[in-house]
Amino acid sequence: MKVLAFSHSMDLALELISAGRELGDVSLLMTSDQEGRINEVKGAKEILLCKGMGSGDQEGLVELISGLADDYEIVLLASDRRGRELVGQVAHRLGGSSAVDVSSLSVEDGKLVVERMTFGGKAIAVEELGLPAVISVQKGKFKPPEEGEPSVREISAPSVERRIEIIERKEKPKVGVPLDKAEIVVAVGRGFRKKEDLKLAYELADVLGGVVGATRPLAADLKWMEEEVWIGISGVRIAPKLLIVVGASGQQQFAAGIMDSKVVVAVNTDSKAPIFEQADYGVVMDLYEFLPVLTRKLKEIKGG
Amino acid sequence: MDIAVLVKQSLDVQELRVDQDTGKIYIEDAPTKAGDIELNATEEAVRLKEKLGGKAIAIMLSTWGSSGKRQKEAREALTRVLAMGLDGAVLIMGEGAEKGDTYVIAKALAGEIRDKFRLVLAAEGSEDNFSGLLPARLAAELGWPYVAYATAIEVEGDYVKVTRSLEDFEEVVKVKLPAVISVTQEINKPRVPKLVEIVKAKKKPMDQKDFSPPVEPKLVIRELKVPKVERKQIVIEGDVEEAAEKLIQALKEEGVL
Ligand SMILES: Cc1cc2nc3c(=O)[nH]c(=O)nc-3n(C[C@H](O)[C@H](O)[C@H](O)COP(=O)(O)OP(=O)(O)OC[C@H]3O[C@@H](n4cnc5c(N)ncnc54)[C@H](O)[C@@H]3O)c2cc1C
Repeated sequence: MKVLAFSHSMDLALELISAGRELGDVSLLMTSDQEGRINEVKGAKEILLCKGMGSGDQEGLVELISGLADDYEIVLLASDRRGRELVGQVAHRLGGSSAVDVSSLSVEDGKLVVERMTFGGKAIAVEELGLPAVISVQKGKFKPPEEGEPSVREISAPSVERRIEIIERKEKPKVGVPLDKAEIVVAVGRGFRKKEDLKLAYELADVLGGVVGATRPLAADLKWMEEEVWIGISGVRIAPKLLIVVGASGQQQFAAGIMDSKVVVAVNTDSKAPIFEQADYGVVMDLYEFLPVLTRKLKEIKGG
Repeated sequence: MDIAVLVKQSLDVQELRVDQDTGKIYIEDAPTKAGDIELNATEEAVRLKEKLGGKAIAIMLSTWGSSGKRQKEAREALTRVLAMGLDGAVLIMGEGAEKGDTYVIAKALAGEIRDKFRLVLAAEGSEDNFSGLLPARLAAELGWPYVAYATAIEVEGDYVKVTRSLEDFEEVVKVKLPAVISVTQEINKPRVPKLVEIVKAKKKPMDQKDFSPPVEPKLVIRELKVPKVERKQIVIEGDVEEAAEKLIQALKEEGVL
């Protein structure tokens, strides 16, 4: 199989190479803004460097990838927002199949077989895709390869009629430890009444040496936290050894993101909240009363 | 300017029962509804229409079978979005639609949209499958530009200004119409229709059409598995002090402290 890979994020691009190597030879497409990281690329057969295009050019990328894809059976993209935006468009241009956020992939009888979460995390779908196939790969599932020097070929940018113009673009500040790599996570939900109260969660995370994540409404709607820290089907999937969920109801879309956690603790005033079914240890209590005491007791142990 | 809103009949995943021991998924028993983010898309369409004039129409292609129950639910889901202020609805239903992948559905929907609408609004992902593939494919089928993850939309003449949040950037883009835009849950707060609006919505035009697959699917679902997640579900009793101590003890025994 010949595999073409591309991601706006170089970190995710490196993961794609390793996902693609399970299927065949991988060519990694890189854009002008990524050239500085070309030496980090290992394990791909070749790099296709397009100096005439930046990764922010969505229409250009659809055109470029669709054009290149004629020579490949499988196109791998990343499951970040910009990657997912491309999948359906490129697949349709090729008259091919598509799937997003796949966690495993293999080739059987000339078909690509993938697994992905569906029904808000209640089921795993095993899907057979006809070729050509365009898919996005779940973040963090594959480790970047460490060996194998790729050759580099420069390619030119196609000319495209542009209907999308970027009129403003602001880079977002980077967050500290990425949630999907953290060992201990305290996840906060709408049970917190105001932003300042989150300090209760930060203090708990501090004494445990962990990081704080959130449900979608806290990050995306209320904007109390960075968007990178929302957990769930439309956010990050985490796999810490200890997760403490505080003041979150445990709706399915959130629960889908915590399934791989080793030990889950839930703190919620409502004994009927679905989060208790997702937890190993449940504390039916007001977080405002419970967290300060838990943090104080943990400090006592850690201190002495 | 007429706007089409793609409203999926979604399985209510919160209500969907799965059996971890037998691996059975009770899809037939689960209710369906208009997906949550589709309500955001609807709200946005109604707001734009109120400002700019023209019509806003819901389009639903039902993929959970065409039994009497599913028909009824589909019509209820559409009545809900009509009550929010849409002017009419198209419901496409029929045998074979449940096997249709996004390739097939995009082709089928394009015929309802081309030449009739200038703007298509959709959800960033459906509630049950959350792939977000359909609006992207539809845009490609129509040959229209596609912008996903909108958190604000403004129409200015022949263009839409879309604000969106990506992992590493905040962006404002200007898109030439006609276009397909998908929205996130944060774009607005969907209005809750009053009873009189629901009654009135039942009189709004709902055009039901038979589905006939325009092409063969490119993807087949081989199997649906139930992931096994085993949780102890131990409830920690006692007053605050006791509970904290018991929890710490338990976490020590788990070896995670
Ligand atoms: C397609 C789709 C995708 C989505 N993706 C995601 C996603 O990726 N991640 C995500 O999180 N959500 C997602 N959502 C939203 C999700 O459905 C829920 O709305 C959300 O997870 C609820 O957040 P919450 O638990 O913080 O709030 P709520 O559901 O409001 O829960 C708050 C909880 O706090 C408890 N509480 C209140 N006061 C206290 C107190 N003093 N002490 C202790 N407990 C208290 C309450 O009992 C309640 O259980 C998605 C939705 C859709 C439709």
